Amino acid sequence: MELNGLSIDQAPPISAPVRFYLTAPLFAILAGLLILFSDSTTLMTRYSMDSIIITHALTIGFLGFIMLGSLTQMLPVLAGVVIPKIDMTSKVSYLFLVFGTILMILGLMFENSIANLLAMSLLGIGFTMMITVISLAILKVKNFNPTIKAMATSLVFAFFTVLMGLFLLLTYIDNDFAQYRNMIANVHSVWGIFGFAGILIIGVTFQVLPMFYVAPRFKQFCKKRVVWLISAGLFIWLVTSIFLESYSIIGKAWIATFFWAFATTVWMKLSARRRPISDVTVWYWRATSIFLTLGSFVWIFNEYFKNEYVVMVAILIGGGVILSIMIGMLYKIVPFLVWFHLNAMGYMTIPTMNEMINKNLAKIQFVLFMASLVGFIFSFYIPLLLQISALSFTISMIILQYNVVAPMLIYRKIKKTKPDFDMSALTIS
Amino acid sequence: MSTIKEYLTSYHSRCDEYFAVMEENASNSLSSTTVAYEAFAQCTERHFQMEEKIMFLEFERKTGMTEGPTSMMRHEHTQMRNLIKQMGEAIDSDNKDKFFGLSETLMILMQQHNMKEEQMLYPMAQQHLTSDSDRIVDMMESMIVE
Repeated sequence: MELNGLSIDQAPPISAPVRFYLTAPLFAILAGLLILFSDSTTLMTRYSMDSIIITHALTIGFLGFIMLGSLTQMLPVLAGVVIPKIDMTSKVSYLFLVFGTILMILGLMFENSIANLLAMSLLGIGFTMMITVISLAILKVKNFNPTIKAMATSLVFAFFTVLMGLFLLLTYIDNDFAQYRNMIANVHSVWGIFGFAGILIIGVTFQVLPMFYVAPRFKQFCKKRVVWLISAGLFIWLVTSIFLESYSIIGKAWIATFFWAFATTVWMKLSARRRPISDVTVWYWRATSIFLTLGSFVWIFNEYFKNEYVVMVAILIGGGVILSIMIGMLYKIVPFLVWFHLNAMGYMTIPTMNEMINKNLAKIQFVLFMASLVGFIFSFYIPLLLQISALSFTISMIILQYNVVAPMLIYRKIKKTKPDFDMSALTIS
Repeated sequence: MSTIKEYLTSYHSRCDEYFAVMEENASNSLSSTTVAYEAFAQCTERHFQMEEKIMFLEFERKTGMTEGPTSMMRHEHTQMRNLIKQMGEAIDSDNKDKFFGLSETLMILMQQHNMKEEQMLYPMAQQHLTSDSDRIVDMMESMIVE
């Protein structure tokens, strides 16, 4: 149903977000195995090939997939807009992104220019398709709320992050461009983490915390200004880090301060939440606050240690914050989507959300994941910890994969039976 | 007087509060949440009926869209009524796991539904029904729940 570009239907079909959600943990498992077989000294520097490959298995394969899947799901609900041809677009771009990511990993691993070139095209097309259709949908929005503004801003950073990423891949194909590599890589990573992922997470949190946990709403200042202030910080950082390097700490401190303030606010809102339930998703939010606080400060002080600790920042913020939030969200969204779509088809006897994912398995997954993060950090000082942590990480991701597949198996099983109730009279075509 | 949008939005927060109290009591024991459950169920039912019997009808009359967004919202009301009913049954049979499984599902469904209304339907309704806004809010305020 569409009214002047506004849709109130529950779009899109379940397959659009879920295909991204089911694939994401596989890339995390791959990343875990790659860490397991890597040497700890090569992982200590951000520019080693091993570090780059593992980082991208996680950032594109895990985080990118979950963020894109979630945008297809959340935008129609939050903004009431239809994403044009979302079923087809998500299917095609998904294939492009899966093969693009695999080829990129192989291309970098074996220094194969053809694989890198193919990866560049596939990732370029895959990301551009998704960013374009989502942007087109956002352009149709009539009532912009802070979450949609954050999504739009985050997409701008996503676009530049992808563009810079493609250029960086080019530097491995054509050596003439290699001289710009480190400078661009620096901007690519900071804009990707704080601009694309960070701003998207902040925007979604404005909605999700009050909604799911009946936590107090965020203050108007926070909702109206923070995204702009962080964006300004990212520009200040960009300019200073390229032209006035000795002042780039100003930009860093600016960005980090707002993220730290955000982390503190999330902690306080959670403590003041009206719902008493403390499930694994709440634990993930708590962990996010702690890791974001630590990560923000280590990132600032890393400046004084000649970038020795930048890998630690990546573990704290990439793993402790972004991965944590995404995993926590998967635990809520996948069972809900299964319930929602089955219910809309007329099935009345559906397991409740809590019955779809085994609570104890979710808790074990959380503990193993947290242990691996702490282990990765301390493996800077005790290299032996790296392999154990990688193992713990891999197992936690295998459990995560199982936990997101389980509700989908329930979905398939129930769909094969006859609905309890014919909803065709109620559904609107 | 508040507008249709403000009035109905504030009702969403009110129901959320009742929901939180109900869950808080239920986390101690299900038998102690009967009163809070009734309060939540009544608040939600009143809100549904204010929309279904007054606001939606006015909106449909004015815009001519009977198969439009209001029909989808009615369908979601049915889904929520069902869950609320099942929660009552879970309380009666003292099945805590079932109760919290249902309340979790209801919470997300309800929030998603509220968001669609607050983001789309209420602004549309406010736009089409501006001149009748006070009268409609009055009618909703004095409505007797069936």
